[in-house]
Amino acid sequence: MATASVYSGPGFDFTNEVRNNFLTERGIPLPKATSTGTTIVGCLFKDGVILGADTRATEGPIVADKNCEKIHYITDNIRCCGAGTAADTEFTTALISSNMELHSLSTGRKPRVVTAMTMLKQMLFRYQGQIGAALVLGGVDVTGPQLFTIHPHGSTDKLPYVTMGSGSLAAMAVFEAQWKPNMERAEALDLVCAAVSAGIFNDLGSGSNVDACVITASHTETLRNFVKPNERVQKERSYTFRRGTTEWKKEEIRALVVEEDITHITGGRGAEEAMDTS
Amino acid sequence: MESLRIVPGKGDKAATVQDTSNSFGLHDTLKYGPRSLAAEVQSTGKIRDRLENWEATQDNLKLQMQRQLFGLHMPMRLMMERKIVSQNPHMPILPQSNLHLDILMGRDETLECADFMTPASEMAHPLDIHADMEKKLRM
Repeated sequence: MATASVYSGPGFDFTNEVRNNFLTERGIPLPKATSTGTTIVGCLFKDGVILGADTRATEGPIVADKNCEKIHYITDNIRCCGAGTAADTEFTTALISSNMELHSLSTGRKPRVVTAMTMLKQMLFRYQGQIGAALVLGGVDVTGPQLFTIHPHGSTDKLPYVTMGSGSLAAMAVFEAQWKPNMERAEALDLVCAAVSAGIFNDLGSGSNVDACVITASHTETLRNFVKPNERVQKERSYTFRRGTTEWKKEEIRALVVEEDITHITGGRGAEEAMDTS
Repeated sequence: MESLRIVPGKGDKAATVQDTSNSFGLHDTLKYGPRSLAAEVQSTGKIRDRLENWEATQDNLKLQMQRQLFGLHMPMRLMMERKIVSQNPHMPILPQSNLHLDILMGRDETLECADFMTPASEMAHPLDIHADMEKKLRM
């Protein structure tokens, strides 16, 4: 007897594959996904890890979102910045966050950064780079502060300071010049902001504001829009129209609240009068 | 198979009617339309083959190693347990979950794409119930 397979499938549906190949051969390419074309950075300091990211999401040459969040939650003491296809990074980090929670409930221990890294890298390797997620994973667990980068094909690096995304070269230049071990929190936060700002101002794929996240052994602090170097200038003139600019000739008001009068039909409160549902 | 592959290998190119076959084993024109060569010759589905064969390959690796370490009885017992557990006396109603099988396969404490990314049951053909029962009872 042929039983159903004991394996759960890949979860993806490939019925459109033939059609897509046919269309690509005919010269109609697939639409471009929203990418984050980003600057994401992370660095170790004396008490833990600081992650930083810009906030621009692009769709080809157009800015799709001027203030998106790129620092994703994995667990209370672990965060992950994502560069690449926006949907892929959000979805992958959400999935791994759920799996980490289940794992920590099952083992009864606080989650570790290497667990998240292993889950991410095994998943990305399985998809052979088709999931366009380049991640910077950082956190503090019982073994200390850790910082990893994960590339879309599944390779990882463990480093004291990392940058990813299209603005990674500009940010890495700042890090290489100024990073030193065992910095204080204020100094490290300044350095991270400087690195992300370098990416914002010198790379077209990054822009808007700087987000930061400081993770220490005791708590995690999320600094959303920590630095806003690109605020829109107040317009010099007011472009609103005064009331009465447009004249009207006729006014008609229709009440949408309908009035209702309730008339009781059944007399009294006898139970036998009530609806029989037997 | 004696191989200890971790990653699925390249599948041999095959032209098959499997996907669109009805209970007679032939192409089901009523359901899927006329036969087309382009659809039948398995086009380069590298990522598709990899994803579809991933779990089977990893599972085979583990069973093969267990066979080499402990003897044939070990993978045999495991596969027997799985087979027992996956016998389902019910009609193949669309929402089907087999917790015991999940536990045996080691996926009771993880979430995978397959758990929430399969198309909604409303999108499946409503007449599939009969086809599934046919398949089940004839086999």
